[in-house]
Amino acid sequence: MAGATQVLPRSLSRPAAWRRRGVRRAITFYLLISPWLVGFVLLGALPLAGAFLMSFTNYDGLNLEYVSFVGADNYVRAVADPDAQYALGRTLLLMAVIVPIGLIVQLGLALMVNQPIRFSNVFRTIFYLPYVIPVVAAVWICKIFVDPTGGILNALIGTVAAGFNPRWLVEYPTAVLAVLTIWTAAGGGMVVFLAGLQGIPAEYREAAMIDGASRTQVARFITLPLLTPVIFFNLVTGIIVALQVLVQPMLLSPGILGLNPGTVPPRDNYFYAVHAYIEIFTKQLFGYGSALLWLLFAVVLGLTLLLFRTSRRWVFYGVEQ
Amino acid sequence: MSVSVLRARRAAPAETAFRYGPVLVAAALFALPIFWVLVVSLKKQSEYSSALFPAVPQFVNYELAVVLADFGRYAANSLFLSGAYALLAVLVSALVGYGFARHQGPGRNKLFVLVIATWMVPNLVLFVPQFVLFARLGITNTYWPWILWGLSGSPFAIFLFRQFFSSFPRELDDAAEVDGAGPLRIFLQIYLPNAGPVLAASAIFMFLWVWGDWLYPALLLHQDNTTLAVRMANAYVDPRGNPLQTVTMAGVVLYVLPLILFFAFAQRYIVRGIVTTGIKG
Repeated sequence: MAGATQVLPRSLSRPAAWRRRGVRRAITFYLLISPWLVGFVLLGALPLAGAFLMSFTNYDGLNLEYVSFVGADNYVRAVADPDAQYALGRTLLLMAVIVPIGLIVQLGLALMVNQPIRFSNVFRTIFYLPYVIPVVAAVWICKIFVDPTGGILNALIGTVAAGFNPRWLVEYPTAVLAVLTIWTAAGGGMVVFLAGLQGIPAEYREAAMIDGASRTQVARFITLPLLTPVIFFNLVTGIIVALQVLVQPMLLSPGILGLNPGTVPPRDNYFYAVHAYIEIFTKQLFGYGSALLWLLFAVVLGLTLLLFRTSRRWVFYGVEQ
Repeated sequence: MSVSVLRARRAAPAETAFRYGPVLVAAALFALPIFWVLVVSLKKQSEYSSALFPAVPQFVNYELAVVLADFGRYAANSLFLSGAYALLAVLVSALVGYGFARHQGPGRNKLFVLVIATWMVPNLVLFVPQFVLFARLGITNTYWPWILWGLSGSPFAIFLFRQFFSSFPRELDDAAEVDGAGPLRIFLQIYLPNAGPVLAASAIFMFLWVWGDWLYPALLLHQDNTTLAVRMANAYVDPRGNPLQTVTMAGVVLYVLPLILFFAFAQRYIVRGIVTTGIKG
């Protein structure tokens, strides 16, 4: 692509000079990207290699003297670990709930604010706000909202069903977490959907309308197919985020003195990354925890690749390429 | 703008209701929890569970939130850490993005795939060995990890800048090259000054990431040099150790407010920065 637009260099007849120029250009390129490259090697590749080695040891994070290789023991143990199995099940369940509902909410919001309405900027800001609120504040907002003694949720419920005053964070922690994650992620997804909607040329819809297509038909046969790349993008990122959910369940404890009392979240909110976190940072099982994390990575990667494979069948990438 | 207003006015009442009804309900649902935190932050502690709204707004809660928690010091820690990281990461990412967009070298495309790939690795998978490394280097309890992260750039921002710079007309480079400018000078004098929206958008996201992060400061820093996020995860208490939900919410509002003002102000910039860059590539 670059070469096609360039004027043929004079030095083409002089291969040595040509090669020297290529070398110089390569040096320039590598110098420009060197901050990232050095960082990638020192803070990315080497630690990852170390983590991979670590997952075959009994490393406790402190004493290098006692480290010994334990082969695939950590992985065998992880696969048989009832806590890990339970946590993975909870994580997949959470993903199956929040990813589809989240996508519908994001698309719904984008469609609403994409209409010619007054104050659409105000609406966009309101929907985008929870996305930029830091996690600590978002969890506090959620906690005070559902608090059975001073929260407005139970006060509102009390006006219609007087006897119903649940302690949400004890009785329904996963439902609260699901709503919290959908609420915080909605704005980010909405912006992406909005960009997708605005990228569809109005002529397509107008042409279909002139040909007598109904609104539903336009939505089904024009808008939806042209939106599939954006749906796919939000679906993939949604799944990756859902599988790694960690900080929100860690902070959403039922206690009143703070968010994270340093204890394990309620059993319902014991997700896979939470399990790995506790094995590593609470129990100091760095080797075993690393094995758990590599298995999580494998699940994330596998699901992503699977999605990319199916995407050929339903994602419309246009004809112009 | 005026066209849309006219159209909205001429629309039939049923259509207007259909257009505004759902969006108003959704906005109320989204804003209610935030509104409620503002209400609680203005209550007396004795009103917390007894009254729905405060009889007299207690603005003193905001004063207490600052005084009782050494708020200023933690805010300064957060500001320094977020600012330093954002500044370094954005400048480095812009430079690297420029390299990927405009310069040729063997393995360029494969390296760019690596940039994207690091983005896909789960955070903890990468962080756990980094934590071990930082502990071995003796730089836990310092701000060095964030400086090092900043110096190596952010994959997300590198991607944004690479996409953005790829759309620049090449004639600019050629003209500057004829005038004898080297690649660094071309970057500093042509690319960087013309990258306003993407610089702003990525700087805000980088800043927000550190300002809002709870996990890394909780694991890497200690009580004295930690960030506001970690401090705000604990409730304010009265001298007998009972929680003060009202003052805590005032603290939370103060913690979030600068970001919200910043965002309301820069929102147009951000949306444009992201949209012009495009996710389709």
